[in-house]
Amino acid sequence: MTPFVFLFALSLLPVAASAGPVLAASQPAQANPIGTAVLGFKERVAEYIKLQHQAESKVPKLTETNDASNVQRREAELAAMIKKLRPNANEGDIFGEDFRAVLAREVRRDFLGRSAADRKAVMQEQPLKMRLGVNMTYPTDKPLKTFPSQLLRKLPELPPELEYRIVAHHIVLRDVIANLIVDIARDVVPKIAD
Amino acid sequence: MSMRVHRSSRRPALLLTLFLGALPLVASAPSVSARAAAIQDAAPAAAAGGTLAPHAEKSLRFAVIGDSGTGDKPQYQVGERMNESRSVFPYEFVLMLGDNIYGSEDFPKKFERPYKALLDLKIPFYASLGNHDDPNQRFYKPFNMDGKRYYTFEKEGARFFALDSNYMDQPQVDWLEKELSGSKNTWKIVYFHHPLYSSGARHGSEVDLRTVLEPLFLKYGVSVVFSGHEHFYERLKPQNGITYFTNGGAAKLREGNIRVGSEMTAKGFDTDRSYMLVEIAGKTMYFQALSRTGELIDSGSVEAVKAPPAEATVR
Repeated sequence: MTPFVFLFALSLLPVAASAGPVLAASQPAQANPIGTAVLGFKERVAEYIKLQHQAESKVPKLTETNDASNVQRREAELAAMIKKLRPNANEGDIFGEDFRAVLAREVRRDFLGRSAADRKAVMQEQPLKMRLGVNMTYPTDKPLKTFPSQLLRKLPELPPELEYRIVAHHIVLRDVIANLIVDIARDVVPKIAD
Repeated sequence: MSMRVHRSSRRPALLLTLFLGALPLVASAPSVSARAAAIQDAAPAAAAGGTLAPHAEKSLRFAVIGDSGTGDKPQYQVGERMNESRSVFPYEFVLMLGDNIYGSEDFPKKFERPYKALLDLKIPFYASLGNHDDPNQRFYKPFNMDGKRYYTFEKEGARFFALDSNYMDQPQVDWLEKELSGSKNTWKIVYFHHPLYSSGARHGSEVDLRTVLEPLFLKYGVSVVFSGHEHFYERLKPQNGITYFTNGGAAKLREGNIRVGSEMTAKGFDTDRSYMLVEIAGKTMYFQALSRTGELIDSGSVEAVKAPPAEATVR
């Protein structure tokens, strides 16, 4: 028995004991659907990061520079390489349908806990008419609206290469280094009237 | 040029009334009143207009600009005034409060040329990120961000913390707490783009961000916070003992945007662009705000707060 399997078996003991011998014998332990959705999302994020690092290894290293055009050029090269490595990327590939539902519920819960003024502040200056697509560069002439920090702390933590961003009523996953939209969860930000 | 003044220093009676009105509030909050941050609203009488000379011979001096990167004429004019100010008030570096480059990333037009005179003098700029900034600006060496979205540095005993208020994730909050708790500096100065308190009609206070950051500021003795985002100058009345400045008018202007009659405003200016000059001498920080035409908008001083003892309860 590996240490991991042993620990997993130990963790199930209290559940089995409280459920009684009949239940423990006849029903397998039910996985928490939210936990499963979050875990799946984290795994897909990890896969993306692996691909991103692969892309990074194929373009010049990003270092501090006095010439800002070097930063922009490198950003574009990395974005192009990522697109090349995932040419058929689709919406939902990383978020996944099950995690999208979890995300929508969490955002809705967060919004319901806010005052109308606070909700308005969150939605203020959103680029409402921005075209969105996977593998699309986030337009530099559009602001990156502050992600509500209270909500951010309720969502699964992302590696530093990725961030959540609210665009209109959607949440996008943005590659910070490549300035690239890598996935979109549409209509997860509720339209709650003032 | 007309100057919009909400709390004029020429109206001492009103100031006294406001001060007296605030007394019961302070008395009912002992944990706050212990944090002795005092604002003196009087500029030296000899300097009715223009840049004020430093108060002390040996002091730390810096300039502060926010929302600067438009590449338009007003940005260049503020850049000229900043350079002129240096002859009277020789500052050593510049804090940038975000929105360093708006729109197309034309760094020469929106940063290098407007501040050429200062850059030629090797005056370093320390940038923080605004909502119009590509986070990869951190790799642009003249912004001195060391490739980081948030960072800290020390100058002659004062500790500065540059935050990325666009994305206040848990790693950043943890980092800030670690850095603040480890800092023994008398002066802990935090700067970032979005104001925790603001009388702006357009944006107003960033309440969500405040709930995360303010407890740390209080716990670890932050004295002064600089923010931009709102395109005007506002000095807030001390909030829980901390002095907040909003200074996001170094190129952009949102004219007449300070809510008239806001209880939070100690001084407001929203009729032209502005920048700040700051001096730290011992436990006193002297500040002055100047307009695009070099007119003195505001000046005064702030005393460093004392961090409460570790076991003290903060809200």
